[in-house]
Amino acid sequence: MTTPLVEDSTGGLKTGDTLLEVDNLIMRYKTKQGYVSAVEDVSFVLHKGEALGLVGESGCGKTSVALSLLRLQADNGEILGGEIRLGGKDLVPISEDEMRRHRWNDVSMVFQGAMNSWNPVYRVGDQIKEALDLHWPERLNRAETRQRIGDLFALVGLDSDAQDRYPHEFSGGMRQRAVIAMALSCNPQVIIADEPTTALDVIVQDQILKELKKIQADLNMSIIYISHDIAVIAEVTDRTGVMYAGKMVEFGDTGDIFSAPRHPYAWLLLSSTPSIVGPRRKLAPLEGEPPNLLDPPSGCRFNPRCPFATDQCRVEEPPLRDIGDDHQVACWNYEQVPVGITSGSVV
Amino acid sequence: MLKFIGVRLIQMSLLFLVFLSLLFFLLQAQPGDFSTQFLDPRIPPENRDLIAARFGLDAPLWKQYLTYMGNVLQGDFGVSFQRYPRTVVSVITERLPRTFFLFTFATLLSYYLGFVLGKVLAWRRGGSQEMSITLGGVLLYTVFYPWFALVMIWFFAAYLDLVPVNQFLTPLRWRDAPFSANSVFTSIIWSTLLLSIGLGLALWASRKPDNETQRRLVKWGGVGLTVAVFLAFWMPHEQRTYATDIAHHALLPIFTLALVAFAGVMLITRGSMLETLKEDYILTARAKGLAPKTIRDRHAARNALLPVTTSFVLGLAFIIGGGLITETVFSWPGMGELLLASVLTQDIPVAIGALAMVGALALIAHIIVDVMYVFLDPRIRYQ
Ligand SMILES: Nc1ncnc2c1ncn2[C@@H]1O[C@H](COP(=O)(O)OP(=O)(O)O)[C@@H](O)[C@H]1O
Ligand code: SF4
Ligand SMILES: [Mg+2]
Repeated sequence: MTTPLVEDSTGGLKTGDTLLEVDNLIMRYKTKQGYVSAVEDVSFVLHKGEALGLVGESGCGKTSVALSLLRLQADNGEILGGEIRLGGKDLVPISEDEMRRHRWNDVSMVFQGAMNSWNPVYRVGDQIKEALDLHWPERLNRAETRQRIGDLFALVGLDSDAQDRYPHEFSGGMRQRAVIAMALSCNPQVIIADEPTTALDVIVQDQILKELKKIQADLNMSIIYISHDIAVIAEVTDRTGVMYAGKMVEFGDTGDIFSAPRHPYAWLLLSSTPSIVGPRRKLAPLEGEPPNLLDPPSGCRFNPRCPFATDQCRVEEPPLRDIGDDHQVACWNYEQVPVGITSGSVV
Repeated sequence: MLKFIGVRLIQMSLLFLVFLSLLFFLLQAQPGDFSTQFLDPRIPPENRDLIAARFGLDAPLWKQYLTYMGNVLQGDFGVSFQRYPRTVVSVITERLPRTFFLFTFATLLSYYLGFVLGKVLAWRRGGSQEMSITLGGVLLYTVFYPWFALVMIWFFAAYLDLVPVNQFLTPLRWRDAPFSANSVFTSIIWSTLLLSIGLGLALWASRKPDNETQRRLVKWGGVGLTVAVFLAFWMPHEQRTYATDIAHHALLPIFTLALVAFAGVMLITRGSMLETLKEDYILTARAKGLAPKTIRDRHAARNALLPVTTSFVLGLAFIIGGGLITETVFSWPGMGELLLASVLTQDIPVAIGALAMVGALALIAHIIVDVMYVFLDPRIRYQ
């Protein structure tokens, strides 16, 4: 038996159809000091075959969003509201046992620090086999399993024989490739890649991103890329969501957002980063740090750091509004933000 | 690997010789000597000297030492003063299986129970159940052991009358026994050793087949077969009633020793599990949709096992010391009791022999754990 690498497990969805809808998701961590509001009213849609990016400084709730989608948030985290609809089915209210059948089979994940995603005492191949044994529709025998893992390894640029090795025998890059192979193993509908290359050196990082992008295109997969590194997001995604302090503050076509960010935070984030595309530009500083989410600022959560803040910003929270071209922004004064990031600094 | 074991064995042998030399001089340095303890004070001094000369005790210490080490290398540990003319080796070969029996069962029991309970505790963090079991563990771990052993005897033997009060067999029943207690001990040790090897093999083989039904079949079939062979060996065995008599006597000391040792294992396992549960690969395992029990046993507990194995070596001293107290309190005539009696009576050849044996066992356990590590942790490879 040969196992098909790409199997349409998406119920006949065509490219561009809605695959995953997140609606008004709220997830908070309960601590002794109170609730940490890590995911506050976040909504977005992921289409079949699309690469979606979530970008924002560290601590803005990107990982929390990702984990909530699999309902794997830490023990003290609780989903307090919203819906996560996968192929129309809401995953929030279902039982833990039912949820387990969706994990990896429908939504798999490449974790932040995927280097340590491997259990040191088992062979890499056996750890992938574990997922196949659990989710693959029919039972694969030993030869079929080896074949399948070998195919996956070929896809990410590893030798088939590498499946017999232990994680510590791999380099960081190889471990990361193998993690990607494992994420692909059960033909998931969605792959979430949380800082998939952050721990690697730049050259390996670049290689792996390119390969991941190619695999995504070849298999027509839907991926959510998460990174604090805007260069990564700019390179591999079709659409981008910018997160700040647990909120989605801007969402739209990646090209639009990177050429003309409308939210002050996105604008400052891009301007303060050395150029990755185009000519040198003047750097505008992004000062301060994201707020403590135990007690976020009232009104717009960005107001203490925002050069455009007005009195309204300090009391009233701006909703995420459509501004045309499938572009959404949560800011009262987005029109004042200079168009284009190469223009001079206002501060 | 073989080379590693070879080198290790040589190291251990050298260490053993150093240990033995230290024992020799330390025990000589005890106040008093053989003559005050074993010779009638009315014996005239010249006869006294004659007797000392017969045992070579008149020679200078360094000469005695060389003679002794020379003899040891030929497997001769001398004769017992107390049990003259029995040799030290014959006394020890009589006592050793009894201690080995107690020690092995108590250790296996305590590690098994401690590990299983420790991992469950860590998994179900929080709640009053975890609190009370942990508290109980800490109490057992810190309790004054001889006192605890006496309480156990009082409760189970005297008050409930479930088990015999002491001794390792019922002397009346053994009066006309056609064989020695030691041959029965040896049968018990060998048969249970084979039993555990059989069980281990069954569990190992049950991981091989591809599907769950076959795995279960191999597992339970193998376990059933091994147990059946074990029973088939013992049921018609002529020593059976004697073996059960010994087992009956062994119950309380094994249980008591295991209970105290188990608490330590449980606490270490719990701590090590809690660390393991924070690892990234646990999150990966959850994301894969594995069942909680699989994550706990296959991923977390398997890694938590490594520090517990290390603690085994460190805990050896405790188990041996605990064994000494256990044997004394339960009048179990094994090595511990022999050691204590020989030191108290200045039976120096036996004391050195017994301590040397304890040391040798500890060194061997060290090597076994080193080898086990290779199987437990693929990252460890000895060159
Ligand atoms: N288990 C937890 N308990 C309490 N707070 C948490 C927990 N995990 C994360 N947080 C907090 O939630 C916020 C979002 O964290 P995270 O989702 O990891 O952000 P990002 O991935 O964008 O760096 C941070 O302020 C972080 O300190
Ligand atoms: S709403 Fe106000 S504070 Fe918030 S980003 Fe817009 S201008 Fe700045
Ligand atoms: Mg993160």
